[in-house]
Amino acid sequence: MSDVNTQIAHAPMPTGKTLKLRTSLPFQLWRFLWINLRIYRMVIKEHQAR
Amino acid sequence: MARVVVLGAGIAGHTAALHLRRLLGRRHEVVVVSPNSRWNWIPSNIWVGVGRMTGGQVTFPLAPVYRRKGIDFRQARAVAIRPEGTTEDPRGAVDVLYTSPDRQGEQERISYDYLVNATGPKLNFAATPGLGPDGNSVSVCTFGHAEDAAGALGGVIEKLRAGQRQTLVIGVGHGTCTCEGAAFEYTFNVEHELRTQGVRDRADIVYLTNEYELGDFGVGGMTFDQQGFITSSQLWTESLFRERGVRAITRAHVERVEPGKVHYETLDGRRDSLAFDFAMLLPPFRGADLKAYDREGNDVTDQMFAASGFMKVDADYSPKPYEQWQADDWPKTYQSPHWPNVFAAGIAFAPPHPISVPRKSPQGTVITPAPPRTGMPSGVIARQTAYNIADMIRHGGGPTHTASMAAMGAACVASAGKGLTKGSAASMTMFPIVPDYQRFPGHGRSVKDTYGELGLAGHWIKHMLHFLFMYKMKARPGWKFIPE
Repeated sequence: MSDVNTQIAHAPMPTGKTLKLRTSLPFQLWRFLWINLRIYRMVIKEHQAR
Repeated sequence: MARVVVLGAGIAGHTAALHLRRLLGRRHEVVVVSPNSRWNWIPSNIWVGVGRMTGGQVTFPLAPVYRRKGIDFRQARAVAIRPEGTTEDPRGAVDVLYTSPDRQGEQERISYDYLVNATGPKLNFAATPGLGPDGNSVSVCTFGHAEDAAGALGGVIEKLRAGQRQTLVIGVGHGTCTCEGAAFEYTFNVEHELRTQGVRDRADIVYLTNEYELGDFGVGGMTFDQQGFITSSQLWTESLFRERGVRAITRAHVERVEPGKVHYETLDGRRDSLAFDFAMLLPPFRGADLKAYDREGNDVTDQMFAASGFMKVDADYSPKPYEQWQADDWPKTYQSPHWPNVFAAGIAFAPPHPISVPRKSPQGTVITPAPPRTGMPSGVIARQTAYNIADMIRHGGGPTHTASMAAMGAACVASAGKGLTKGSAASMTMFPIVPDYQRFPGHGRSVKDTYGELGLAGHWIKHMLHFLFMYKMKARPGWKFIPE
């Protein structure tokens, strides 16, 4: 087995603030719009590449 | 009048059929051959597998949609392709075996002018002894499998409630599996479910994978530019494993699955085993194992298909070391090099090689993820194939549209738990899917367009995509405006 579990044990741990933001409704609403824009950009790039 | 036959009605086959019907006038015929009567939005099977959705919510019957759109649907399994027809009829043809209750077992030869092979994968549970629903593990590959997995998970939750410790192993069941993203999703949905049920503290969850590092996902991992740092999907994924208390076994090839015990070999050549109470292990894929015959009836299967059973298309299949892999090796039009009126779409095409670095154990066991080509690439390839065939029918000539995975981006939303306010998902975009080190020296992908983020918003997007694609695939008004 690789030492993956040692790596996991040393991986960055999200802070309480980060975890809170991940479920914060106003912040996630903003992220929802922003991620959708990124996905839309990907779709546009793909259409342009045809 | 031309007849286009589409084999398969999954994401690729159904997308190709709907676009062909839209692009070709009613004087042309579109025929779909699929052994399944229902269309399945497979990404949501993860939620069926934890009991948060039912099979009925992720599927719909195909026949009414095809009836409404004027597509001829034959519920049958393709068994052979005759690309040059027969001595009696020179048109290409497909031999099919009906699976519908009213025509079960009946054989037919369907001639075509153009053929789209979108037969998807054969779930090759047989590659690993004891793997799969007929063996000693469960799967979420089909909605039926996922419903069974939810039942088995329910049993585990009951035992946890009764105070028993349980070990859950989730991952891939062979060294050459693909779809590590689905295994990742199921791992964290199960973890989320156990927390929701208040029994997480008595459960050990182990992610068992053939990936060299976590976050590889069969695409060789991703590089992100975040908060002033160039970071990797590996670090990001390991962080989630730490936060959610999930252990991992990487670089593993599952050799066999016994009742309650999985045996595996790792890349360093060691053999080990792990006892489990619940195991969801995905199978490796192979092609649908269609046969091919020339006009005289000689077997030409090895000309049309690779040894993996997937169909050879316009890729560079010459064997070459990893250092010489090029973006240009990947197919662009998915046209058969021998038979120009035959195309493959979605998982059915044979990739030229993996995307992840190929590796073998000292015993010679290949432990390398196969390249993923599900979801967005499948749909895009199918749509472009439909455009090519429609152009060839209307104007003659060759294919005019391309859809190389080395020039195409993808968005992937991997659920990490379902819930309107408590759910989460990893939202990822990458461009291109297959790294192009000439165009993007260093990382092979555009760091600007390759991105990952965890949070509730990702869950909303995945849920939205579920409804959007169920709507689109039912060919409701405006369906064509929803991108693949």
